[in-house]
Amino acid sequence: MKGLRVIILNFFLLTIPMSLAWAAAEKAEALEKKVSLANLTGINYFFAKLYNENMWVYAIVVTVLMGAVGMLIALVTDVFLKMIGMEVSKIEHHE
Amino acid sequence: MFDIFNVYMPIAEMQFNALILVAIGFSVGVLGGFFGVGGAWVVTPALNIFGFPMAYAIGTDLAHIFGKSIVATAKHRKMGNVDMKLGLMSIVGSVIGVEIGAQNVMWLTKIGLAGPVVRYTYMALLFGLGFYMLYDYATKDKRAAAQAAARAGASVPPRKSWNLPPMIHFPASGITISFWTVTAVFLFTGWLSGFLGVGGGFIRMPALIYLIGCPTAIAVGTDLFSVLFSGAYGCFTYGIKGRVEIIAAILMLIGASIGAQIGVTAVKYVRGYGIRLLFAIMIILAGLSVALKQFNMTLLAAWVVMSAALGMCVVIMLKLWQGFKKEKAEKAGHH
Repeated sequence: MKGLRVIILNFFLLTIPMSLAWAAAEKAEALEKKVSLANLTGINYFFAKLYNENMWVYAIVVTVLMGAVGMLIALVTDVFLKMIGMEVSKIEHHE
Repeated sequence: MFDIFNVYMPIAEMQFNALILVAIGFSVGVLGGFFGVGGAWVVTPALNIFGFPMAYAIGTDLAHIFGKSIVATAKHRKMGNVDMKLGLMSIVGSVIGVEIGAQNVMWLTKIGLAGPVVRYTYMALLFGLGFYMLYDYATKDKRAAAQAAARAGASVPPRKSWNLPPMIHFPASGITISFWTVTAVFLFTGWLSGFLGVGGGFIRMPALIYLIGCPTAIAVGTDLFSVLFSGAYGCFTYGIKGRVEIIAAILMLIGASIGAQIGVTAVKYVRGYGIRLLFAIMIILAGLSVALKQFNMTLLAAWVVMSAALGMCVVIMLKLWQGFKKEKAEKAGHH
């Protein structure tokens, strides 16, 4: 009896996130939009065009780019701080 | 006067002052570096106050959190302290949570309620946290006395946990805990990330330590691991939904990285409980700015949020400078 109660409770708890995600996903589908390319040049044009053509590719590019910029900044600040003689190995920063 | 710093945001399709973006990132970096939590809860309200639609504010904030977590990971090299089993569970739980939060925001965007609902949630969170910190500050002497009394002989009551099977053992942390407790922690903090555009460390860290029972070092490493993946997924999923303004995210990331260096250096020099009082006031002012935005007093809201964030940074930098001068004088005295 206790085992059955555990199985039912587990099943119930498992269905909560799935049902929430599914229910919400249905309603969020009609939110796609296109941005205007008029008067855009350079990097703005590149991102806007990517955004209009394929949102998945845009998302991948954005994620990879943020990671790459993060790594580049970490590298540059490390080099800079070592140049001015600061200890950088004890940094505490979470979140 | 500052119009020359205006840059065009191609995805949000609006002009935005680059100085404001760098300043927002800078304040978050200083606060995060100093207090040890990211402070990204300033970013979403600030971007929204300055004109970003709520979903763009959240997506852009998550993108900047991801970049910042890469910087933090590269700098702290804390990954050695990750409980991998817990970390993997955190990825699954956080990713599902972020997606639910993001879907909720998109649904609210569709019915035109994302702004007010997220703002009210922020108000509850910021006012709650701020007033709790004020209370914590006001009762610190009483609590210290109670702790001293407890140490003198009284036994500590055992921590109660929810033992619903399946139970999972985490050898690296040396704990056995219900699958549901772990899932609930990561699912909730993931949802908070996706819904509010925050890293969630201010809830996940205490939950990992006090609710799950992780040793502090493992909690720090696992939290960093979790933010890295939930930030990456948040950036990606808001990217697919077309709600990440990449130019703004990069500008904030640059500001945050500079600010973080100042914040972490200040930890060495600034001591005392008093700074927490200022932090609590800053959180309450951030909540007030969200309330002002909600009631259409946008200009005042902008002044309040930026004054609170930058004011706090100025206090930290001044104290850093004073501490640095004092240390220098002491060293000179020894010679």
